[in-house]
Amino acid sequence: MTIELQECYFDFEQRFELQDIHWSVTKHQHWVITGANGSGKSALVATLAGYGEQLSGTLTGLPARVALVSFEAQAELIERELKKDDADILDVIAIGTPVHEILAEGNVDAETVSDLVGKFELGYLLERSFRALSTGETRKIMLIRAIASKPELLILDEPFDGLDAKTLSMLQEYLTVLSEKVRIIMVLNRCDEIPEFITHIGYMQKAKLLYKVARSDQDATRDILQLLHLKTSDLQIPATDVASKSALLQADLPLVVLNNICVKYDQLKVLENFDWTINKGEHWQLSGPNGSGKTAVLSLITGDHPQCYSNDIFVFGFHRGNGESIWQIKQFIGYVSTALQWEYRVGTSLRNVIISGFYDSIGLYTKATDTQRLIADQWLALLGMKARADDSFNKLSFGDQRLLLIARAMVKHPPLLILDEPCLGLDDINRQLVLALIEKICAGGQSTVLYVNHHSEDAISGIENYKNIEKHPSNISH
Amino acid sequence: MSNNYFNTLTLRDQLEQLGKCSFMHLNEFTEGVEALKGKKIVVIGCGAQGLNQGLNLRDSGLDVSYTLRQAAIDEKRQSWKNASENGFTVGTYKELIPTADVVLNLTPDKQHTPVVNEIMPMMKQGACLSYSHGFNIVEEGMKIREDLTVIMVAPKCPGTEVRAEYVRGFGVPTLIAVHEDNDPQGHGLALAKAYAVGTGGHKAGVLMSSFVAEVKSDLMGEQTILCGMLQTGSILCFDKMIEKGIDAGYASKLIQYGWEVVTEALKYGGVTNMLDRLSNPDKIKAFDLSEELKLIMRPLYNKHQDDIMDGNFSSGMMADWANDDANLLGWRAETAETAFEKTPAGDVEISEQEYFDHGILMVAMVKAGVELAFETMTAAGIIAESAYYESLHETPLIANTIARKKLYEMNATISDTAEYGCYLYNHACLPLLQDFMKNIDTDVIGKGTSHEDNGVDNARLIEVNEALRSHPVEHIGGILRGHMSDMKAII
Repeated sequence: MTIELQECYFDFEQRFELQDIHWSVTKHQHWVITGANGSGKSALVATLAGYGEQLSGTLTGLPARVALVSFEAQAELIERELKKDDADILDVIAIGTPVHEILAEGNVDAETVSDLVGKFELGYLLERSFRALSTGETRKIMLIRAIASKPELLILDEPFDGLDAKTLSMLQEYLTVLSEKVRIIMVLNRCDEIPEFITHIGYMQKAKLLYKVARSDQDATRDILQLLHLKTSDLQIPATDVASKSALLQADLPLVVLNNICVKYDQLKVLENFDWTINKGEHWQLSGPNGSGKTAVLSLITGDHPQCYSNDIFVFGFHRGNGESIWQIKQFIGYVSTALQWEYRVGTSLRNVIISGFYDSIGLYTKATDTQRLIADQWLALLGMKARADDSFNKLSFGDQRLLLIARAMVKHPPLLILDEPCLGLDDINRQLVLALIEKICAGGQSTVLYVNHHSEDAISGIENYKNIEKHPSNISH
Repeated sequence: MSNNYFNTLTLRDQLEQLGKCSFMHLNEFTEGVEALKGKKIVVIGCGAQGLNQGLNLRDSGLDVSYTLRQAAIDEKRQSWKNASENGFTVGTYKELIPTADVVLNLTPDKQHTPVVNEIMPMMKQGACLSYSHGFNIVEEGMKIREDLTVIMVAPKCPGTEVRAEYVRGFGVPTLIAVHEDNDPQGHGLALAKAYAVGTGGHKAGVLMSSFVAEVKSDLMGEQTILCGMLQTGSILCFDKMIEKGIDAGYASKLIQYGWEVVTEALKYGGVTNMLDRLSNPDKIKAFDLSEELKLIMRPLYNKHQDDIMDGNFSSGMMADWANDDANLLGWRAETAETAFEKTPAGDVEISEQEYFDHGILMVAMVKAGVELAFETMTAAGIIAESAYYESLHETPLIANTIARKKLYEMNATISDTAEYGCYLYNHACLPLLQDFMKNIDTDVIGKGTSHEDNGVDNARLIEVNEALRSHPVEHIGGILRGHMSDMKAII
């Protein structure tokens, strides 16, 4: 029978609430549920074992015998054993329930128990008190109990956590055989542990089951795993290459001062009397309707707009148009936009794309130093693309290209990071990927961020200054 | 009337100047733009080369402004818009030329004589006049005031590419030269190098040449293999396919994009690599066809080179200038009316390999044209490096323009001089290949061969491979592409 959850809301002792869950697990499917810490993945699978208070929605098709192994269930069992101890009014030293009794509880298959005790090499502790076991040992006992209870649905929340390599591969093999008879749902935090027999992956975010993908959809699977990697890995933003970094000329001046800016094409005025000062450490969000000149403002700052020479512009201590080169300006800016991605049609490797950020070039035309290569590889690891370092950039998916270009922009730890609609043109999962990366950068970086975006759901925490541009009156069609 | 400068040189000087061409390494440009820093650069003309070179120079920290004729300013012509919308100072000759330390003459060849005659008296004592083509000096014999330095900086790409590559952080291969008769302060080379750095050319490779070598090799390359051969080949191959009943849309597409695809292979690995893309029997077929083509066309290539060397080509073209471009405009109209030009590319899928397999004759034509142009130039005393750049190296660039918008785009992009030479070649070459084309069928253009197996005679294959690989254009190409890929290390 298919297990079916529709519009389900569950409350967990008012600490946590699962929201709007839609999920169906057919007879021959095996799922892994994953997501960041606190996203609700353990709560989700626990509902199938009767945990949580169902507030609304329908949950149907649950089999009669469901077994759950989780830290919470483990804690409950230990708690129960401790209570037995408390209840003991006799003045003797309680030794607690021995392991073999715990294993014989309920309707278990004795043959399976002894088989697994042998496989886990636990024979030596059958006589010991359950309470005296280590966490790892308790976990193994829980697994044996669950498997031996002949469940129709086996739910394993982080079953591989804390297992040594030998035991891990034994258990994986065992589960693979078991999966031919028993439906298995697991919670896993590490994407490299997903067993072969798993057919579907679900991704939890903020108490919602956000994505459900069949493993046969390889692209979608890879996106999910990458998102998981970014959300859960504790990797730090890689350091920059000190040798290829120049100090700001005058660190006490604002990064950018635009004075009374005027940009016009023929008769069409795009900007007039526009002023803007960006101080160091002041994150800004720039918004305005299409055609209001947002891109013009950004390109005046980056030096890509030819009229930057006929305006009064200070950037990074340079008063534009006084003999500085465009490369002297660009070295202080990291820049990401859809337009950049269109221009970056280069058959070079992912590693080289990141290194090109040190040189502000599209493609790489200079031999990279060993340090730069090292840093590029650290970024690739952060993005979860280490294995693809030598792949060609133009063979990458659109979303992966965007991630890589953000890393390229950040590789030199620029004083100013300009993100021009970094989520534009991305599907939901890739938007999540990009936002996860940007949040990581904002949390760890010293860059002042200038963010252009329309969507309020793509807001980035930490931005407190807002600049709005109105469309110039000459630029509105009547 | 003009006086051909080349013809005034002694044979010894002619040979010395023709033989001038060497590759300069990146480490020869450590001075950057220093020699031009703080100098006032005034560009005459704001077309594709003028505008884009100026944008690059300004982004390199140099002081650039534009001077245009009074009429262009008053009427707010395109050149005025180009310059002013990009935030440049624009002024008349009278206003800006006297203030200039360096004047970049980036007007079309045809205007050089009147423009230079007008500005020369206004130029500052000891200033520098720069060209991007030596035609005016070499072919028209323009004499420049003795106190002025005369240099040439010629990016070997269309103006839009010059800008696009700079913005990417790279540049385009650039040829520089100093006019030996006009280097009174001995700093011509320093200025030319700084200019090449300012446009980004130093990153892609700079060739040090002479005015003479640049003009004689440039004219030869553009009118034979680069534009002439591609135009003639397009028309002949298309007409043959139509005659043999191949779908017109397919034929049009095969040719429009085929040149670009096959010469891409040429760009990476020379003629050898281009032919290596074919199966063994097809390669031998292409080789045989190209040998036949070379035999038929060699006198034509010789005639073009001879006319260029003795100045006949230039005087013929200048006569047409004086006749309001009657020939040029007539030929241009004629090209627009060819069946190939008028048939849009069909909506059919052609794989990259299919362009080779179904375009054996096109491969043979490119091989024949490249080798003939190279052989003819070097036989006339032009050094192999120059001959390589003006034949093989530029062929893919021109092929790209045909892929964009057929022959119209090619002729619109190249200089008037190249366009004039291209039509001359085309008119002579079409009848020359008439008999050859009678024996051509769809196996070599349009449908591909249908060998039951790809077996070939070992001895014959070895012979063909050896002939391909030992051609002198492959030898110098290997060396120069090596330099280039050192610079463009990882793309």
